[in-house]
Amino acid sequence: MNALHEQFITEARELIEQATGDLLALEREGSAPERIDRVFRAFHTLKGSAGVVELPAMGMALHAAEDLLAAIHARRLAIAPAIIDQALACLDQVSRWVDEFESHAALPPSAGEEARAVAERLRGFLPGQATGPQAKAGQRHKTADRTMPHWVSLLIDSQRARIAREAQERATALCAIRYEPTADCFFNGDDPLQSMRQVPDLLAFRIEAREPWPAVDALDPYACNLRLLAISAAHHGEIAKIFRLVPDQVRILDLALEDLGSSPVVRKDEGHATELVRSVIEEQRRVLRASEHPEDFAGRFGAAARVAANALRHGLRPELAERIESAVSAGLSRQESAPLLAALDETLARLEGGVSRADVMPDASSTPRDAEPRIAERPGARSLRVDEARIDALVNLAGELVVAKNTLAHLANKVERELGSHDLGRAVRREHQAIERLAGEMHAAILRLRMVPIGRVFRSFPRLVRDTARELDKEAVLAIHGETTEADKTIVDQLFEPLLHLVRNALDHGVETPEQRRAAGKLDIATITLQAARTGDRFHVEVLDDGRGIDPAAVRRKARDRRLLADDELAALSDEHLIDLIFSAGFSTAAGVSDLSGRGVGMDVVRTTVERMGGRVSLTSRLGSGTTVRLDLPMNIAVSRIMVAEAGGELFGISMDAVTETVRLAADRIVQVKNNEGFVLRDRVVPICSLAELMKLPRPARAEGDARLLVVAETSGNIAALEIDAIRDRLEVVLKPMQGLLAGARGYLGTTLLGDGQVLLVLDLKELLA
Amino acid sequence: MSVRRDEGGTIVLAGSCPVEDAERLLQMLQATPTPKLDWTQCHHLHTAVLQVILAARPALVGACGDPWVRQWVGAPA
Repeated sequence: MNALHEQFITEARELIEQATGDLLALEREGSAPERIDRVFRAFHTLKGSAGVVELPAMGMALHAAEDLLAAIHARRLAIAPAIIDQALACLDQVSRWVDEFESHAALPPSAGEEARAVAERLRGFLPGQATGPQAKAGQRHKTADRTMPHWVSLLIDSQRARIAREAQERATALCAIRYEPTADCFFNGDDPLQSMRQVPDLLAFRIEAREPWPAVDALDPYACNLRLLAISAAHHGEIAKIFRLVPDQVRILDLALEDLGSSPVVRKDEGHATELVRSVIEEQRRVLRASEHPEDFAGRFGAAARVAANALRHGLRPELAERIESAVSAGLSRQESAPLLAALDETLARLEGGVSRADVMPDASSTPRDAEPRIAERPGARSLRVDEARIDALVNLAGELVVAKNTLAHLANKVERELGSHDLGRAVRREHQAIERLAGEMHAAILRLRMVPIGRVFRSFPRLVRDTARELDKEAVLAIHGETTEADKTIVDQLFEPLLHLVRNALDHGVETPEQRRAAGKLDIATITLQAARTGDRFHVEVLDDGRGIDPAAVRRKARDRRLLADDELAALSDEHLIDLIFSAGFSTAAGVSDLSGRGVGMDVVRTTVERMGGRVSLTSRLGSGTTVRLDLPMNIAVSRIMVAEAGGELFGISMDAVTETVRLAADRIVQVKNNEGFVLRDRVVPICSLAELMKLPRPARAEGDARLLVVAETSGNIAALEIDAIRDRLEVVLKPMQGLLAGARGYLGTTLLGDGQVLLVLDLKELLA
Repeated sequence: MSVRRDEGGTIVLAGSCPVEDAERLLQMLQATPTPKLDWTQCHHLHTAVLQVILAARPALVGACGDPWVRQWVGAPA
């Protein structure tokens, strides 16, 4: 597999995800032109990339989807769930092909047939289109029924006589070419001018700067900032062939001969655009009139104004957009919608009156906006793809450095102790601090390399919620917050499965049917929320639903039936702790086993997975109003914070992830329960174990009545305290898993090196206290 | 070498000017307060070289020796 193919696979997957998200947004939030634009661009870029790696079947399927989207954009077709379904199905097919391409470097032989089927289904929606022959239309953009962009008319004007003559003599259609090479095209060996030289029957050509030129001193000679425009009498296909390697950077438009007659060229779809704008504005007027609740006034008002103004700009009526915006400030200050309503009414009247374009377009050149979806310019995020293994190597090295620098502190002590030289000791200590700071910064910077936004996991959920809800005959939307929150890649990658279980559970068990919801006085459509946030060095992901909540009585019944706990234990549990039983292995609250969840494996898998990452799961639920599951996770797992504890004359590490608090307890607070000791902490009885005893070490002599030092840990709902003799240190360390003979030793998370070279065993409290 | 400076200080493009010439040309243009550029002897321009000329706008001596550029780009404004 070569680099080009690898890049294609990565990019294609990103684009598929993006297009899926946008399609769902389209269905949910309506067909705003920008949104259709975005979907169109994703499909278009995908098609372009498929062309580059020479996958014509993929190109064919995507091309059909693209035509469909173009029709929707031009308002020749209304968006419908069935269309979204087909577009999603097309993406599914493409996604399967990408997988296939990744493993076999080629599409299966059936791809052509599949592509034709996908294309025909998509084209079936196109108005007045028989299925079939259209699929062969190739790379042609249908533009005859669309606007002639401003740049084309300028270009025609520049060579008007020549073009008119040519058009008359040959009576052929002309093509306009717009080539915007990427900034790094010179590094790819492109010579855009050379491509243009090859275009036959050139009639007009213009080369211009895409962005204003910088000062000569700041000019980067190898960053291409050019736009090449041309008109040619050559055949569309012939031109497409010249630019076949850069289809994403080139747009070829067919010009109808009658377009060449008058100047300036008039937008042919003006009627369409005005109609679109009018319907958008009418909708906003309805929204504003709909309710007068003061609490959501500002939001509703602002949104309506923004939508109306954008629609007007899109319809090339900027002066009306300004009128709307000035009405906004008046309305907001008086907290009423009257001024905006008046402005909307006025706008509608002016749109109906058909104010002539000459009046509203002060300067043709100020509105060079194409009505056709713009061809993708890849977002300019400067990023680098690096093999994960290389970063891991760096993380390991930096981790070792962090540990190695600890020896300097030890060395300083040794110098002072053995040589009695305080100056030298201080000097070493000073160096230690400098190196510590640098090593710490480097370690943090390298760990940041591994940080990825949680959004990449969230992205697949809108589709999942939609499909799952449909399957269950429920209605649900997904709200996502905090998708930019970052955490270590390992953690983010492992989150998908637990979140999947949680979201499915929420839909299956939490969310009621629309009838039940209506009966309970809720909106038909349930909301599932995925949200992430960061506090200190922990990060939280929550899955919320506004469904029926968990009934503690049902949990109690089920727990008794399944004999999860003895009856007296069960009776003693508060509702809050009872709900926690849902995470026990072998628990399922669903009455029947459905295809989705309810096989009694989901929730305990969630807990195990999250705890393996050093996280915790908690659940709160209010009967009738919903459930929240909260995952509390470390941001990165490469470094663990441990406390070094002494017990029985030996040192042990205790991972801070498990520790909820440390307490120094007066002897009289300790109570004897049978053979065990315990104490009461915030109304809970906490059993005490002695670490020295657990490790079969001699217990140090202790005077009766001495205060006792306890580390309180809570794991899987069990709380326990570990008695230690002293806390020696708190460290950030890189844990090494137990190896060799010790690999099977239970009760340890791993080992780490202390500053003096001593090996420290780090305890697995979960296992010790279980 | 397809980029050089003649005795009068005018920068001269000659022959075929490949992509590498863009940087050399830019350096010469940057080093000259009011540069003059003679492109009559150059018979093929790479896009990157043309871009430098478009961006830096030196005073041009004569018409471009590259016929395609002469016809379609002419003397950039």
